[in-house]
Amino acid sequence: MLLFACDRSDQQIKVYRIAKAPFDATPSADAAMPTNASSPSSLPESAPITTITAAVPPNWEPQPLSQMRQASFLVHGENGAVADVSFVTLGPAAGNILDNVNRWLAQLAQPPITADKLAGTIQQLPTARGDIAIVDMTGQPESGDSSKDGRIIGAIASDEGRIAFFKMRGNSVLVGAEKENFLKWVSSSRGANSTASTTDSALPPANSDKPEIKWEVPQGWSPAAASAMRYASFTSETNGEKADISVVTFAGDGGSDADNVNRWRQQIGLPAVEAGSLNSMIVPVRAGEISFSTVDMVGATARVLAGWTRHDGRTWFFKLTGPKTVVEQEKPKFVKFLQSVRF
Amino acid sequence: MLRKFVDLITSLKLTIVCLAAAMALIFAGTIAQVHLGIHEAQQRYFQSLFVWWPPEGRGFKVPIFPGGHLIGAVLLINLIAAHAKRFHWAWRKLGIHLTHAGLIVMLAGGLFTDLFAVESHMRLSGGDTRNYSEDSRLMELAVIDTTGPELDQVTAIPEAVLRRSRTIEHASLPFQIIVRNFFQNSRLRTLSEAGSAARPIANQGPGAQIAVEAAPRATGVDDRDIMSVAIEIVPIEFVSGTAAPSLGTWLVSDALGAPQTFSFAGRTWQIALRPARYYKPYSVTLQKFTHERYPGTEIPKDFSSRVTLIDPERSVNRDVSIYMNHPLRYRGETFYQAGFEKDDQTTILQVVHNPTFIAPYIACIVVAAGLLVQFGYHLVGFSKRRRTAPA
Repeated sequence: MLLFACDRSDQQIKVYRIAKAPFDATPSADAAMPTNASSPSSLPESAPITTITAAVPPNWEPQPLSQMRQASFLVHGENGAVADVSFVTLGPAAGNILDNVNRWLAQLAQPPITADKLAGTIQQLPTARGDIAIVDMTGQPESGDSSKDGRIIGAIASDEGRIAFFKMRGNSVLVGAEKENFLKWVSSSRGANSTASTTDSALPPANSDKPEIKWEVPQGWSPAAASAMRYASFTSETNGEKADISVVTFAGDGGSDADNVNRWRQQIGLPAVEAGSLNSMIVPVRAGEISFSTVDMVGATARVLAGWTRHDGRTWFFKLTGPKTVVEQEKPKFVKFLQSVRF
Repeated sequence: MLRKFVDLITSLKLTIVCLAAAMALIFAGTIAQVHLGIHEAQQRYFQSLFVWWPPEGRGFKVPIFPGGHLIGAVLLINLIAAHAKRFHWAWRKLGIHLTHAGLIVMLAGGLFTDLFAVESHMRLSGGDTRNYSEDSRLMELAVIDTTGPELDQVTAIPEAVLRRSRTIEHASLPFQIIVRNFFQNSRLRTLSEAGSAARPIANQGPGAQIAVEAAPRATGVDDRDIMSVAIEIVPIEFVSGTAAPSLGTWLVSDALGAPQTFSFAGRTWQIALRPARYYKPYSVTLQKFTHERYPGTEIPKDFSSRVTLIDPERSVNRDVSIYMNHPLRYRGETFYQAGFEKDDQTTILQVVHNPTFIAPYIACIVVAAGLLVQFGYHLVGFSKRRRTAPA
């Protein structure tokens, strides 16, 4: 019992990342409208990888995305009319077309239909990803706001075991007026097969800072959780031993090179060096139009490879840390990684 | 020595002492609710190993009575030990065995519920979606890095850490947070209202215009403390690892609505003191809240919430109705219809995470079965004897 009491989760600092969903803000008039789908804002890493790349009508206002919503728009019409457009993908357990059509009908306070009537309710839209089932439903929920509710146009497509849901819900007249745009948007969407992969040429992480930077992540490096201190993190594992690769950036000059190098040396048990003798230790590495200063520090058990550059008022530190054997093996990849950096 | 110990923990006298102590504790705890409030009294008397007496003006406290956890644990050990020592299998004792087993399950379940159950609330207005619930009592300091285009990184510091730590450092924060003042309950007034003698405890944000006064702990069932904390932000130099000049002192409080923003190290940060949040891998959207009254009166007849439950991990997307005696149970959590506010525009769902919620049900069934068997056995025996007895 005492052990249980010692490890109380309500007494530990927690760190997590959440989408910039509008949940935390005071609900606005737009946010108060009935939503097509809810939007879990945490655990972004488990979001389905299917994306939508269709052309978006200019009058559709993009809304914050979430783990659930892979596309989200708001359309404004006359006299305060609003329609909400969303794109969501779920696994096969999301139910068949009849289940979902009846769920949408219930949201419009309409009675459910049977499987016999379903065929007469849906229309097939031929697209590059195959036929997509389209359903158009009207109805007014009790105490619903007619400016924000009254009609749903839904589209359901199957992609390799996942089900894609496109949905427009809102004012009946506005949804009717936007139906053509909606169907064009649905028919020009791409399926899971055509989803672009970003694993080989990794972009900065989702919580990256404003400064733009690109690089190519070497094979064998796995992204690790970034933090407020770290712009990006990677790990590499060899024979059960791990090396840590970090990217950190700070505004300004980031302190003197001698201070930085001596702090890194101290971390692996090496004595400090004089500023005058530092120049002989620094090896430049060219990366396009910029140049990195690099140092290789070998301690008793650990080794650190560090590279830094100053660009556009910021200092960027790249560091490879780990057991000597692993760092030796990863050194060529680290140098290649530095050479791939572009601002 | 061992024999004496075994005799002690298996003795009926210990059971009587525990039950008597429990009665005294319940009486004292109930009286204490008058000036401590229900939550504080529960914590001090029932959710503790000892009831402590803090001598006025002394820097230490002394235990004066066993707390609820200690009495419950001793009673549980006593029950199990006594049963194990005196256990002799016989069909005619099946009822007694079952009854004792049920009591053991009930005591253990109560203890585990006390230790592991978490109660929180989810407030939803029409169309709102939430994937977190909020604690009714506990607060947290949320330090949010809002620089990223799509994701915010939240460092949530529980109130227990704020209360006990003067300096808070964490790998996710490039600065120290120094707790300058901590008020469990407080009253906030603007400097103009507070008079010329009042001084702010913060020099940044709206807190620089606010005077904070300590207030006695809230004791009413529906009352809440208004926690306020003055925190100083001191950057940690990346290069030297030492503290740099302070960025200033902010007042964060339950009474201040909006988060406060500052910039450091090229990143934008928000700080806010808010109810502790419990995030979930699924979300709940309120489709409709219904509140019916008996005709001609304001007496509630029925209130229910129609919600959409969406769980991407399990591909769940369904509508559910939650109303009195019809909670939603999902992923180990139970959503009860708890209340409403804002002229029926907002529903309040109580969210209970209790890994041992099934224990009382099992205990009651087992105890009832045990009593039925025991009394049934005696009834049958009594009937037989009556039938065979000479007229």
